[in-house]
Amino acid sequence: MEILGPVLVAGITTGALYALATIGLSLVWGALGMLNMAHGALLTIGGYAAFTLATLLGAPWPVAVLAPVAVGALIGAAIYLLVAQPLLARAPRSFETNVIIATFGVAIALENAVLLIFGGQPFGQSIALPGHLQAGGIFVPWQNVLIVAVVLVLMAATAFFLARTRAGRAIRATAQHREAAQLLGVPVGRVYLQVLALSGGIAGTCGLLVSSITQLSPTLGADPMLKAFIMCVVAGLGNLPGAIGAAFVLALIEAFASYGLGARWGFPLLLAIVILVLIWRPDGLFGRAAVRRL
Amino acid sequence: MAEAALAIEGLVTGYDRRDVLAGISLDLAEGALVTVVGPNGHGKTTLLRAISGLLPTRKGVIRLFGRKLAGLAPHQVAAAGVVHVPQGDLLFPQMSVHENLLMGAYLETDQAVIRRRLEEVEALLPRLAERRDQLASSLSGGERRMVGIGRGLMMGGRVMLIDEPSLGLAPIIIEQVYEVIARLKASGRTILLVEENPARVADLADAIHLLDNGRIVWSGPPHDLLERDELLETYLGG
Repeated sequence: MEILGPVLVAGITTGALYALATIGLSLVWGALGMLNMAHGALLTIGGYAAFTLATLLGAPWPVAVLAPVAVGALIGAAIYLLVAQPLLARAPRSFETNVIIATFGVAIALENAVLLIFGGQPFGQSIALPGHLQAGGIFVPWQNVLIVAVVLVLMAATAFFLARTRAGRAIRATAQHREAAQLLGVPVGRVYLQVLALSGGIAGTCGLLVSSITQLSPTLGADPMLKAFIMCVVAGLGNLPGAIGAAFVLALIEAFASYGLGARWGFPLLLAIVILVLIWRPDGLFGRAAVRRL
Repeated sequence: MAEAALAIEGLVTGYDRRDVLAGISLDLAEGALVTVVGPNGHGKTTLLRAISGLLPTRKGVIRLFGRKLAGLAPHQVAAAGVVHVPQGDLLFPQMSVHENLLMGAYLETDQAVIRRRLEEVEALLPRLAERRDQLASSLSGGERRMVGIGRGLMMGGRVMLIDEPSLGLAPIIIEQVYEVIARLKASGRTILLVEENPARVADLADAIHLLDNGRIVWSGPPHDLLERDELLETYLGG
């Protein structure tokens, strides 16, 4: 029984990280119908941004922690202005397909830029809480507690922003009916820019958190990105609450499968479940047609 | 002569390579209700889409109180004071009635003004107050139309474009919708209304334009049109 505690802790922590990676991906899909293949690269760069400031430049931790947010938001905004906006303006009908290929190119470029600057060797992230707490015989590292707390706060803040603020409402309106939003005076180009910046900032933070319990490498974001995509598809693309729920459930299944069947079986089992879900409900658990938009 | 609220001269616009409007001119005086009637697919909706900037103007000029609108993006036309209540309502389905109305006041940042407009809209359309927290996707056709009109009113603009408010509704609901439009006119609003059936606006419109094949083929008072059997027969199928 003692081993179940750590598996549970690992599952919940990973679930939180998947959920955070999912939020950024799902926001952009929901608002623009854009699958941002560079989302994983934004996670990677977020991790390296914090590392550069904290370890290489010796900046105080509050600055180093905010760096991934700023860098992620900037690159997210640049992806919109340089890639998504021109594609949307010139060929709106084939945008959804074109942007997948274009952002895949961006992902490769960003990953290689990291490789060129930092090299392929892994680094340890210095920003992490030491020690652990003990609850009912289970050891929980403080860093894991911090990760789950940060993710919960970010999820609540994103939900509040989307539901209660003028800018958030404009994002949802644009996602649900772009033309109607325009007629009411919403500058949709600016809304899209905000969504990409927000998604980038969240991705950067997620990258920092992932690197704090693993290691920094140029492919840091690839696994969370892949998992986030799977969560989005399982829940129905663009369905934010569903994707967050799926992230926790699937991460726990993966953790327990890895423990029970061996580390190699976690991911295959996850994929098998996804395939079964999609055969059973092709539009995702909660149905894409009904709740595709934010 | 007072400056027209909305003045359109020689408007040409269309989709892809095809011109749908082949040179439309019409004026809308402040406080007037002018109706454009005509068969389906002959450019009525296209006219409203061109005014609100959803379609680029190919030739001609559109002026709102003297200010040229051509070349402005839809959100800029909205900010200039054009309220477009589109065909089929285009509500935000996953938002409540209240949120849909609040989106109407997106350009207004003064909370007191927003509250006042909400009170006015809910007084005019009491059903919206009853359905306040219901999702727009769960409303009946008539309720949706009311939210569409209410959302437009929340914009507080200077000229309203209303596209086929009777479309897809039962006769009794159409009557209710037109009662609301009559009250809007009585309160002094400037309205350009698109409709298929001229009889519905006979007592309401100050002028009526018959649009066929992208051109205005007849203009005058609505009752005159209703007496011209040959026009009704030719253009509106009797």
